[in-house]
Amino acid sequence: MKIEDVVCTFCGCLCDDLVVEVEGDRVVSVENGCTLANKKFMGNNRLKTPIKRDGGNWEKVGLDEAIQTTAEVLLDADRPLLYGWSGTHGEAQTIGVHMAELLGAVIDNTSTVCHGPSIMAIQEVGHPGCTLGQVKNRADVIVYWGSNPIEAHPRHMSRYTTYADGFFLKEAFHERKVIVVDIRKTETANIADEFIMVEPGADYALLSALRAIVRGKGDMLPLNICGVEREQLFRVADICKSAKFGAMFFGLGLTMSRGKYKNIRNAIELVEELNRHTKFTISPMRGHWNVYGSNEVFTWISGYPFAVDFARGIAFYNPGETTSVDILKRGECDACLVVGSDPGAHFPRDCCRHLAGIPTIQIDPHVNATTHLSRLQIPVAVTGIDAEGTAYRMDGVPIRTRKVIETTYPSDSEVLEKIYQIIRKETGS
Amino acid sequence: MFGSIVSYIREFARREWIHKFLFAKTAPLTTPVYSRGFPELTGKTCTHALFCMMACPAPGAIEVIHLDDGGWEPRIHTGHCIRCGLCVEACPNGVLYSGRILESMFYDNTMLSFSFRIDVDTNRCMGCGNCAVACPVNKTIDAQMSHGGRASTDELLLKVSEGKCVVLHPEKCTGCKTCEQQCPNEAIRVARLLEAVHAPEEEL
Repeated sequence: MKIEDVVCTFCGCLCDDLVVEVEGDRVVSVENGCTLANKKFMGNNRLKTPIKRDGGNWEKVGLDEAIQTTAEVLLDADRPLLYGWSGTHGEAQTIGVHMAELLGAVIDNTSTVCHGPSIMAIQEVGHPGCTLGQVKNRADVIVYWGSNPIEAHPRHMSRYTTYADGFFLKEAFHERKVIVVDIRKTETANIADEFIMVEPGADYALLSALRAIVRGKGDMLPLNICGVEREQLFRVADICKSAKFGAMFFGLGLTMSRGKYKNIRNAIELVEELNRHTKFTISPMRGHWNVYGSNEVFTWISGYPFAVDFARGIAFYNPGETTSVDILKRGECDACLVVGSDPGAHFPRDCCRHLAGIPTIQIDPHVNATTHLSRLQIPVAVTGIDAEGTAYRMDGVPIRTRKVIETTYPSDSEVLEKIYQIIRKETGS
Repeated sequence: MFGSIVSYIREFARREWIHKFLFAKTAPLTTPVYSRGFPELTGKTCTHALFCMMACPAPGAIEVIHLDDGGWEPRIHTGHCIRCGLCVEACPNGVLYSGRILESMFYDNTMLSFSFRIDVDTNRCMGCGNCAVACPVNKTIDAQMSHGGRASTDELLLKVSEGKCVVLHPEKCTGCKTCEQQCPNEAIRVARLLEAVHAPEEEL
């Protein structure tokens, strides 16, 4: 059976035009999706049952027992951390925030090691953004700064930006200019009209230089700015200023390099300068398929997008203090629930060591690096394949993901709801 | 040593030498009729065969643009064009001319024989779909493909299937190399074999 318009739940592009062929309870082919989508839908290395660490071995446990154990661990903890949430649907994230409030826990999503700085910059100076549909139909200049969509968001260029014909751009890639700024010549740079190779950590200086040029103060700049010829920056500034509609996309090359949120603030202010000449927008290249959703859900319930600490009985947000890496680095938390992410593969060594030393429980369909740090893992249905739910695309557009095969696995929401009900009962709320 | 310096000075001090050096006349520069300039349009109708792009050895030198009236037109980017004239020879409709290429082909009874083959290296392909969306043949077959990579028919030249670019109908390929030039991973190669041959009598 062929199912059309299936949503891919891998990256922030949330492509919703996949055609998936299903035989019984398994996907047999994927059309229109990139390599990442194909692997996600065709993958068959799912964990079958909940597993619990018993000394040096793993033993299989029942779902109810696993759920009961999870609730008890969280209830026993003085400073529990609920981390992840970007790889699950909005309904599960909602339960997570309510659970954190009840437990007085810290709840944090993957933005904390990803686009958290982007959010902090946006909180300071605003977000001149737009949907990807606007970019597709209008943008004649595309800037990728510190991001490599060909590797991380493979269909971004063919579906939303450079190659897709739009309402005002009939000959898409002939009419669009692509500018790539990165520390190395990436695959995306191979097909760029202009590639700026920036020295690592020099993004802030380069953004400031571009701001000066757009302001008409380019003459005061040195001939070489952090390894980039001034003439090239003049050329790039001219391309940006003469655009009918420009769109800048930035990735972790900007958010997680020296300068962090100050880089993003500078980039947003460059876009503000460019808007004196033309229309220009800026948007983050969000990684996980529903990381934007976790920011939305956290914000509409608690008021803050990530790193929300309920220990005081009210929501408290202070990046640098209530962010997961800092809490783990200080050895502060005494239990951790990981949902829909893999901190074992991304967190610093000290944090992973602390996770391995405390009761860490993971809710995830697959064995991953975090499994090796966990004491218990509960496999669940994969949203977008055997569970449905709401996700937010990288530009903030909510999309309902679909369930394409029948399953015996519970969804994230079902497991979390059961844990939540036990916690409610035990805390008498 | 001293003697040779004196002889040099004596040679260059000659009035005749100085006069020739300062007032030498060369023939005025004119473009000879056989000069091959950048290709220009003859006015004949372009049928979007794209053989000009296939034959062109200079990346980014020629592209065939869709006009507002629905027709097509080759456009030369002079910064990239190396004036080899292969596009003029390859065009089946004589849309382009440059120097005496068309006349020479007629009088010498020659034509450009070519074959090409498109290959995808699936190990390198990320399935980004840039090739399938940019492909000018795909654009004429399926507008949904050119508007964002959704394949609504299997009549397409190439599309992304199972996470990799797949060539469905190689016979529709014109060898224009758009896919090759837009592939960020160098996963697509369009191999071409061109040779000038004498046309058979019936071709005249």
